[in-house]
Amino acid sequence: MQPITLRGRAIVEGRCKAEALVSTTPISFLGGVDPADGKVAEKNHDLCGKCIKDKVLCFPHGHGSTVGSYVLYSLAKKKLAPKAIVNQKADPVVVVGAIIADIPMIDQIDITQIKTSDLVEVDVYNGFVKVLKRKES
Amino acid sequence: MYLTKEEERIYDGEFGWANQICMKILVRLGELFNATRLIPINSAHVSGVSYKTLGDAPSDFLEALANADARVKVKATLNPQSFDREYLCKKLPQYLCQKQLDIMTYFEKMGFTESLTCTPYYLENPKRGSHLAWAESSAVIYANSVTGAWTNREGGPSALAAAIIGKTPNYGIHKAENRQPKVLVKLEKQLQSEVEFGALGIFLGKILEDKIPIIQDLQNASKDNLKQLGAALASTGMVNMFYCETRDIKFSEIEKIKVETRDIKQTIEDLTTTSTPEPDLVFVGCPHCSLNEIKQASELIGNGKIKDGTEFWVCTLHYIKEKARKYVEKIEKSGGHILTDTCAVVTWTDKLGIETIMTNSAKTAHYAPTLNKAETIFAPLKECLKTAFKG
Repeated sequence: MQPITLRGRAIVEGRCKAEALVSTTPISFLGGVDPADGKVAEKNHDLCGKCIKDKVLCFPHGHGSTVGSYVLYSLAKKKLAPKAIVNQKADPVVVVGAIIADIPMIDQIDITQIKTSDLVEVDVYNGFVKVLKRKES
Repeated sequence: MYLTKEEERIYDGEFGWANQICMKILVRLGELFNATRLIPINSAHVSGVSYKTLGDAPSDFLEALANADARVKVKATLNPQSFDREYLCKKLPQYLCQKQLDIMTYFEKMGFTESLTCTPYYLENPKRGSHLAWAESSAVIYANSVTGAWTNREGGPSALAAAIIGKTPNYGIHKAENRQPKVLVKLEKQLQSEVEFGALGIFLGKILEDKIPIIQDLQNASKDNLKQLGAALASTGMVNMFYCETRDIKFSEIEKIKVETRDIKQTIEDLTTTSTPEPDLVFVGCPHCSLNEIKQASELIGNGKIKDGTEFWVCTLHYIKEKARKYVEKIEKSGGHILTDTCAVVTWTDKLGIETIMTNSAKTAHYAPTLNKAETIFAPLKECLKTAFKG
């Protein structure tokens, strides 16, 4: 396939290449993600039971308690954090979380162009997300 | 965003990791909301203190900050913790209390004052027009609406960063154009008890979105009642401010909402979830009680004695408890407890066997079913005391 390049706004600098985990639902990190194992714990969430460790985590935006920022820090300390965060519209909880946990983050990306298990490259320095390889479906 | 030379040096890490990370938080948030620069603040108030609401995740970050020599630059207060030092700490499991004490060690090391309250405006009333970085939605709305200070509704981490840097980005409600009322709220009938004020807040919060209301017929409302209104409004809504005067408004140009008596009545009914007449806990002090509220409770209790199997808590801050000495003595003699530094919502009522909470606070009645896993009875102070005391 031809790589698809999606341009966005840099939030936290960094660069990585990893598998995407894509959600259509906002994520609340406090209560929504288990800080002990990095799995989405919120019932009825489309990622429920999925582990966010080492993924390029794509979701529309965060919501819920601002304590959620600290959950991202805690996940990073336990090496359970995502490799990068890709949002449609950044919100304060996730932005602060990504800063303190030092997780590359970019927003204003059309995440509907990315599918779970796609291999994606995130380059926040240059402000883009590139879908390199689509998972065979 | 424009940064001064010194701010840039902090951003680049010349003053260490703790200052750098706090500066990054402020700058990135500022950019997100189109701030143009940082402005000095008079004080910061940090939420996310109780171990019950925080859990383990934040300890790591707070510890790292404290150990990296983060120190507050302005007067910085803290929200309530999960127990008081005289009563609840002896009834709760020791391991939970220890976790809370660890969190407090980090905050103290960073220079936060030990006043653990959701009403920092009782310690020092912020000056009209002064800029603050406060978290705790009920304090934010009170500061903006009742005392006339200017603060966004910060999250725990952004208020913490502002405390360490002593500044906040100039967006949102720090700008005059964002403090304009957008909706005129007319009341069918003047509100009487604190319960009606709270119910109005719960009701409006659900329909206002982020539009600042100007509410008619509140000019004579007490500050205690406005505190209840604001706390409830911020619980269900996104607004961080309301007006209760009718100045400078061209009413023809503004959206209007009429709140009918039956809306208030229905909201009050909905905040009671059980038909049991006997709560395990009767709780006042959400937000923390003023001196006047403690005085009222003590006078209404009279010579009453607490009923068997019922707990009565008045939650407030240490400073007010000291000032209320003679009322406190009376309430304690009647079998009630004056708890400082905490409240029913941020402590583990379920671990104390409390299944039903009666309160005059709309905010508590709104949150208790989820945060305390408790049934609620929502009623004015007078009825609360009648239920808790005999004689």
